[in-house]
Amino acid sequence: MSVSFKIIKPLLQSGSGRLSRWFSFIGMGIGVLLLLCSIQMFINIRQLLKGNTARKNGFDYIAVTKKVTNESMGQTEKNLFTGFDIADLRSKSFVEDVAPLVATDFKLDLSGGTILPFSTDLFLESIRPDFLDTLPPDFEWHEGKNEIPIIVSSDFLEVFNVFAPAYGYSQISRETASGIPVTITCYGAGGIKEDFTAKIVAFTDRINSTLAPLSFIEWANLKFGGQQATHYSRLYIKTKDANDPALLNFLDQKGFEVNKEKTRFGRVKQIMQAVISGLGLFGLVVVILAFLLLSFYLRLVIAKSKENLQLLLALGYAPKWLGQRIVGQMVPVYIFIILLALLTAQMLQYFFHHTVMNDQPGLSSIVSINVIGVAWAVFFLSLFANYRLLKKMLYDLH
Amino acid sequence: MQLEIHSVLPSYFDESKKKLSEIWGKELLFTKGEFIKIVAPSGSGKTSFIHFLYGMRKDYSGAISFNGKNIAGYTPQDFADCRKNNMSIIFQDMRLFPKQTVFENIEIKRQLHPFHPAEKISEMAERLGIGEKLRSKCETCSYGEQQRVSIIRSLMQPFDFLLMDEPFSHLDDNNAQKAMELILEESRRREAAIIFANLERVDFFPFTRLLHL
Repeated sequence: MSVSFKIIKPLLQSGSGRLSRWFSFIGMGIGVLLLLCSIQMFINIRQLLKGNTARKNGFDYIAVTKKVTNESMGQTEKNLFTGFDIADLRSKSFVEDVAPLVATDFKLDLSGGTILPFSTDLFLESIRPDFLDTLPPDFEWHEGKNEIPIIVSSDFLEVFNVFAPAYGYSQISRETASGIPVTITCYGAGGIKEDFTAKIVAFTDRINSTLAPLSFIEWANLKFGGQQATHYSRLYIKTKDANDPALLNFLDQKGFEVNKEKTRFGRVKQIMQAVISGLGLFGLVVVILAFLLLSFYLRLVIAKSKENLQLLLALGYAPKWLGQRIVGQMVPVYIFIILLALLTAQMLQYFFHHTVMNDQPGLSSIVSINVIGVAWAVFFLSLFANYRLLKKMLYDLH
Repeated sequence: MQLEIHSVLPSYFDESKKKLSEIWGKELLFTKGEFIKIVAPSGSGKTSFIHFLYGMRKDYSGAISFNGKNIAGYTPQDFADCRKNNMSIIFQDMRLFPKQTVFENIEIKRQLHPFHPAEKISEMAERLGIGEKLRSKCETCSYGEQQRVSIIRSLMQPFDFLLMDEPFSHLDDNNAQKAMELILEESRRREAAIIFANLERVDFFPFTRLLHL
């Protein structure tokens, strides 16, 4: 036969403590709600900013250059990256990998022949193939081959199509551009000169440049420039999150310039995260204050019912049993508070997604599983803390 | 089941108390089935001794062991188990919940480890003349009635030892005898020992051992 708490309950006097009990319950509800909403907003921001950079295999790729200032103008070596810079970046936890854009170190020009009757000075660059978003199988070159496959930034074609009509050229599509052979002429020291046929094999959205296979650049730099490149004007960083505040702070500190478009959200994210962290912290403080108030209430109940509790212990009631039953009385109230806070957080999330964000894909109308987890963690933590406190007080009464 | 007393002396008594007492500073063994009468004048530490045995006070030197285990090492849970299953008490000052009814006061003890069904409460109350008081709050009862509630409460559980501290101090001889009969009946049913501390000898208690405190 189980021992009934019903007959024991009237022996616990709460008296005037009822007010502080309700205050602590209300405070706890508000605190938990603030905490849950902050965590949900944190998750929302992370999800919103995920889609703003060119991602490959879940990584972001961003280009960095050294800032050219009035002081560093004319001092080329100060504006270029060295092997040391690369090693430094690579050692950071927020950087997955770094690859330099190796540029041609000699003069070359490009002419379009009869279909594209124009010529321009040009530079070619190359990067490790794993940093490319599109890598056609024919993007390779070996010594002795006259045809160079090149990958062109989509932006270049767009710019050409903007100014082409003004110069009387016809605008061209991607497919047509890929079929047009162009001539690249390389000029080296001592008047050496060599023509190559270049063919656009792909367009890239990620790298703002004209790319040739690395084998060609290395060979050509040696042949026409006389040496291999050891300094690089641009680096590409592979990172899990281009908006990671730690990465952006590091780049700022080093004076590296980064594509503002791709990291613009990172600055906003930093501020938003700070605001939301503050809000979350405030929620946590409110929860802790509510816990304290509740512990005062429990102390008051124990103090007021001291004689009754001492007699119950003298009659053979175990402090553990009494502690469990008193805390057990709070379980329905706690469940109600947690569920109400969760429901309110869910309604706010639905409103945020549906009305504020216009059902933006990538965001969910339903609160994150992490938020639900935190809610229940608060529930069990509060029960455990109350039980420990009560057990200690009852042991002291013994 | 046995209670061993090893040279126990309250910390507020000096050593000279040991000379005249048959309990303080002595080695004693109480076993199940014994009826022990302790005669103690006022101020000799009668209530203290009962409270020491029940584990409610610890201000003594020496040792008290229950079934070979020193009760000084008991946890609150151990005491709870012991008071629920092995040891019952009738307090001199009754110690009832004043705002609860007579029935509730007894039921609070009974439900912890029921030795009797709930109907037994009414039966015992009728027998001791407080049947009509079962629904009354204890604070409205006289001392004599409260003492009878305290007696019935102590008999609701299983026990090996029943500690009684002046259990009839507010009862007339007639009611005291009725209560004594009930106590003896219940103790024999459990083959339990009674340790009965009183100011003077009570003729209707068939003690097997008499000790002067």
